[in-house]
Amino acid sequence: MQPTCLKRFAEPWGAAMATEVKLPRLGQGMESGTIVKWLKSEGDKVEKGEPLYELDTDKVTQEVEAEASGVLLKIAISEGEVEVGKTIAVIGEQGEEVQVEPQQTDGNGTSAREVDDDAQEAAQRPVRDSGPVQEVRENREVPPTDANGRIKASPLARRIARERGIDLSAVAGTGPDGRVVAEDVERTAASGAPTPVSTAALPLEGVEVQQLSSMRKTIARRLTEAWQAPVFQLGVTVDMGRALELRARLVELHADGVKPTISDLVTKVSAAALMRHRAVNALYKGDAVELYPTANIGIAVAVPNGLLVPVIQSCERKSVAEIAAARAAIVERARAGKLQQSDLDGGTFTISNLGMYGIERFIAVLNPPQAAILAVGSIEDRVVVVDGRPAVRPRMEITLTCDHRAVDGATGAEFLRDLKAFLEEPGLAL
Amino acid sequence: MPELSYREAVRDALSRAMRDDEDVFIMGEDIAEMGGSMGVTQGLVDEFGPERVRNTPISEMALAGAAIGAAMQGMRPVAEIMYEDFLTLATEQIVNQAAKHRYMSGGQLTVPVTFRTQGGAGWSPGAQHAQQLEAWFMHIPGLKVVFPSTPTDVRGLLWSSIYDDNPVVFFEHRTLYGIKENVPDELEPIPLGQARTHRQGEDVTVIATGRLVHEALAAAKEAEKEGVSVEVVDPRTLLPLDEDALISSVKKTNRCVVAHEAVVRGGFGAEVAAVIQYGAFDWLDAPIERVGAKFTPLPFAPVMEEFVVPHAADVLEAIRRTVGRSDGN
Repeated sequence: MQPTCLKRFAEPWGAAMATEVKLPRLGQGMESGTIVKWLKSEGDKVEKGEPLYELDTDKVTQEVEAEASGVLLKIAISEGEVEVGKTIAVIGEQGEEVQVEPQQTDGNGTSAREVDDDAQEAAQRPVRDSGPVQEVRENREVPPTDANGRIKASPLARRIARERGIDLSAVAGTGPDGRVVAEDVERTAASGAPTPVSTAALPLEGVEVQQLSSMRKTIARRLTEAWQAPVFQLGVTVDMGRALELRARLVELHADGVKPTISDLVTKVSAAALMRHRAVNALYKGDAVELYPTANIGIAVAVPNGLLVPVIQSCERKSVAEIAAARAAIVERARAGKLQQSDLDGGTFTISNLGMYGIERFIAVLNPPQAAILAVGSIEDRVVVVDGRPAVRPRMEITLTCDHRAVDGATGAEFLRDLKAFLEEPGLAL
Repeated sequence: MPELSYREAVRDALSRAMRDDEDVFIMGEDIAEMGGSMGVTQGLVDEFGPERVRNTPISEMALAGAAIGAAMQGMRPVAEIMYEDFLTLATEQIVNQAAKHRYMSGGQLTVPVTFRTQGGAGWSPGAQHAQQLEAWFMHIPGLKVVFPSTPTDVRGLLWSSIYDDNPVVFFEHRTLYGIKENVPDELEPIPLGQARTHRQGEDVTVIATGRLVHEALAAAKEAEKEGVSVEVVDPRTLLPLDEDALISSVKKTNRCVVAHEAVVRGGFGAEVAAVIQYGAFDWLDAPIERVGAKFTPLPFAPVMEEFVVPHAADVLEAIRRTVGRSDGN
């Protein structure tokens, strides 16, 4: 053996001169990211901790810092989508020779570059000339089989495929030696059945084709997943008289800070209600339901061409003013595309408010693995019966969507009853 | 909370048991005035006297037999086998006598004896003084096998071993004697057969024993930098084995690495791999990786010794293979 094992003795990680920059996993479930642009060029000096490139994940765009100091010797992938863990650049010493292996995309040793060329070539061919195009597709999609035609797939991948009725022979394997692994089956499941649809006949004139951004792909995948959950909805109408008075008073008191909104008040009292009904402040995890001790409330925020749910942590411990300040900060960051992964992690419950659009009531789609989501409508003056007489009152409809695997009807109803009581008499939330 | 080394934690469990209970005594080669070849029993003869801290002749067969006899008469002896390599000399007593009497007497006899022993590489002890032979004893019905990796665990598990009515072979690791940890004032017995999760993770479970628990934790830290979240579980007791804990961890992470210092072939990892493939077959997303020493007698030369036994880098490489990210070195 080489004398390098001596080095291992003292320093198990060795001290290789050049450092490979690999695409980091920035959050749970992140499988790939899109390099938007490099902030340094080949040959530039970089310091550890300095922003190196911009990365667009399915949730946020953020600057990624260099993990080592030295000279950016090589940028292996200048832009585009890359799997987590792939080498995208090398940092080393001036003049050092580096070699970056071609990025393997399948067992045939085709580099990403070559596949791109193939795809481009294919795209340039007339669509009806299906021969060669078909070949390209087959090369990329058929998983490796042995001489007996058995498909190489992990036991977990086989189980998921069996449960979801997916034909493994239609799944492209990305594991070692092209093994189909669980992620591959889930990707196929999320993208819908891989049925080849002929688009040749459809006239494309005047049609604007928008390629899905990684955020939209994530929205599609997560909402498709959410649709599989057995959900039910519960709705109540709330008298908002007291809440509006309180909100007006809070605006007076915090004249120089962020003005608290009705949404902030809903967030605050929801946190109080969640603390009394932990079963709703829960994540459904397949073989367990996790009940959380703090109300980390996600706020659905519309952003250009998408939707994000940044989280305000521990709302039960924050005042309405603090929630307003936190909400203003994350909404601003969300709209500016500056959210960090940490802004999006850890949510235990979500609130979606479309009241400002005049929507009176709607049903929100679950945000898995969270057990429940609250849809908040607009406040409208309505004639209602108060003490046996008609009266005009400001009324608001709220609708709770629950994952029935985690929350039962009565549990959700008790939560909603308290939430209504807290909004109608905010002092009760104390 | 006092800070105790692994060595002091063993001594603490022994002295507390002897203080509390006249039935507990210790015996072994050079354990009295000399305090044992690893210094574990230092000072005990001063407190408890030579009747209860007994030097024995240099015959593992004789000392194991005497301990078993005393246990059958109702004592709770703790016999020290200086190096686990020397267990070979006491195997007749441990395997054919201690492990069998409770069964063969229809429960009329119990054999509450504990055989403490130590081994492990990392200090150039050569081929006959550092083997890891725990897997041999896991194969014997009637025995319990314990292999703690931290001061807290070694103290709580030794106590439970002494008070278990079955013979226990209790493995300590030579290079862990110096590691320190704050331990509770009160000795909390740790039930045999209960695994400990040292670190929660999502992507890979590393099931490690002895020194490799610490190597696995170091590897987990490195893996985290690469975006791989590693769970580290120490079974602590190899027999009985906390199968439920291991299986449920792998059901969560879908990938498994087993790591120990003993040679891979026929090792503890082979048994764990079998348990996992049966209990979590439909949850596995990668082959189970085994990390252990290369299949050779342990070399004396330090460089070669380092090459033969596994380190954090080997665990990390196995972790990378399970997530399909090996860079092939």
